[in-house]
Amino acid sequence: MDHEQGWPKVTATGIKQLSIKTTTLGMVSGMGNGTKTAVLRGVRLVKTYGDGDSRRVVLHECTLELYPGQVVLLMGPSGSGKSTLLAILSGLLEPDEGQVLVDDEGQLRDLWQMAPAERDRYRRRHTGFVFQGYNLLPALTARQQLEIVLHWCGDYRDSRRRVDELLERLGLQQLQGKKPAQLSGGEKQRIAIARALVKNPAFVFADEPTSALDWENGQRVMELLRLAAHERQAAVLVVSHDQRLLPYVDVHYHLEDGYLEERGLPA
Amino acid sequence: MLYALLMLWHERARYAAGVLAVTFSAVLIALQVGLLLGLFKITSIPIDYTSADIWIGSTAVPSVDLGKPIPKNFVSRLAGLPGVSMPEMYIANFANFTKPTGGTELCFVLGSLLDPEAAGALTLLTPEQRDALTMPYAIIVDESDVKRLGLDTDRSQKPKINGKEVTVVGTVRGLKSLAAPWVFCSLYTARQLLGPLLPPDHVTYLLARCESPQRAREVVAYLRERYADDMTAYTAEEFSFGSRWYWLTRTKAGLAIGYAAFLGLIVGMVITAQTLYSATVANAREFAILLALGVPRWRLALLVVTQAFWIGVIGIALAYPVCLGLKYLALQFATDVDLRWQILAGTATLTIGMALLAGLFALRSVQQIEPMSLLR
Repeated sequence: MDHEQGWPKVTATGIKQLSIKTTTLGMVSGMGNGTKTAVLRGVRLVKTYGDGDSRRVVLHECTLELYPGQVVLLMGPSGSGKSTLLAILSGLLEPDEGQVLVDDEGQLRDLWQMAPAERDRYRRRHTGFVFQGYNLLPALTARQQLEIVLHWCGDYRDSRRRVDELLERLGLQQLQGKKPAQLSGGEKQRIAIARALVKNPAFVFADEPTSALDWENGQRVMELLRLAAHERQAAVLVVSHDQRLLPYVDVHYHLEDGYLEERGLPA
Repeated sequence: MLYALLMLWHERARYAAGVLAVTFSAVLIALQVGLLLGLFKITSIPIDYTSADIWIGSTAVPSVDLGKPIPKNFVSRLAGLPGVSMPEMYIANFANFTKPTGGTELCFVLGSLLDPEAAGALTLLTPEQRDALTMPYAIIVDESDVKRLGLDTDRSQKPKINGKEVTVVGTVRGLKSLAAPWVFCSLYTARQLLGPLLPPDHVTYLLARCESPQRAREVVAYLRERYADDMTAYTAEEFSFGSRWYWLTRTKAGLAIGYAAFLGLIVGMVITAQTLYSATVANAREFAILLALGVPRWRLALLVVTQAFWIGVIGIALAYPVCLGLKYLALQFATDVDLRWQILAGTATLTIGMALLAGLFALRSVQQIEPMSLLR
């Protein structure tokens, strides 16, 4: 999982280390597209809310895989548990049952069996997030929004150059000196995506990234997420209820009444 | 550090309340202490208006007006030390002043050598006054005490000290007294006036000049170590501050300032803590995403504490000019506010400490931030 620096060189057969480790757990053959190795697998995930009569099962033994270089779209009606599934897969919310298997420095581990500090460290190294609200710090310029993530994650190495490269690659250099108040909604979301990518993460989790934007800006955001997946070999999971995103994704899951199924994409 | 300052500056309107609270606390503390120390300068006048660098008195004497007699031959302990002038004798004691108009008043007799080079002579004396004081039983008082001592009306009767007639040969200005008016005279006159109150071959203090303040500190350290059993040595600066501090605490005035300063600190701390808390809560979603991205929570805690530190620093920076302005204003009303560097440094330490404590209180806001809140 070479995503520590620069643009990762990932072979067509996926991430080498993980393929070795995961073979024994059956994560290679017969899972997904068969040409790449899953870098994350949610296995039989169950989540319920409430107690007694008010108990509601949000996720029924959901299983889902994320592959490097793919954009996965998770759709479903409001309240169907899409965000809950994203939170569980990304290490923010503990499932009641099931596993989230990830590669941790060559070892296949259940994210939810890790100690909290280990899980934080894992997230620090491997995950990026984009949310509906851009949540940019109002005092900082676009460039500083990216730098603060690197610096506060303890990664000062070449931070300036890395931020420069990313802003240039995403076509955001002209925004680097602007603060959130000077940016449009679309620009803010693009900066938020750059912030999610600045660590060069293996995973990008995006929760309704386009729902606050008009369609033109929504398309640009999806292009950036596709870029993250196809060029940087990140595994991108997008949660949305917007059907218009389907042409931009590689895999489409549908979640309804707690049940997850993979669906086809439009031709 | 940079991010903390950027956020402070960006939300300066929000943080202004905290900064002003810190400024208020700092001004309150510095002025309270400065005012009282200024007032209690009165207690160290005999030290501050002489040119001695070293004062030697009885064991553990806490204030210049509480010295007990010491043998004159202690002079030998000081004489001959390198960089130290020939020691001088100095007499200081309370006495009973009988007004020419009748009635009595407690006074404090200060007797010293009077030649121009004398370390114990009052620096405000003119050459004429020095000459006049060489007459037996000649005294000088401060003009602010003239009325109190009954010297402003009937000149036909002579005042007396401890039953002995004295002649007032002049007045000085600016040497106000608190409990007992100062009476300045020669060493001879002082000994005569005090009579049996001062045993023969004893004085109250031995004074000396030194070639430098550093040498004075060295000599004092040496004397303290060598003769701790039967005398005390101070530099003039130490003895002056010690005398003020003694009366400040003895009269419970210290308690009053302590209480007022404590109230100021509490007010400052509560407002600063609340300001930081609300500012952090207002940015909770922005901080939550940083946590989601794996930024350790201690980074946010450090940010809040760093902001608290800067609020303290900015508050102090604003407080100093305000204090100096108020000091100047007080001078217009003949009130001295002693804002020596120790007071300003102590105020800064206390106030920044208070701001940091406020930052720690505000940390509960960081504990409440949860990345999951972004998904709800």
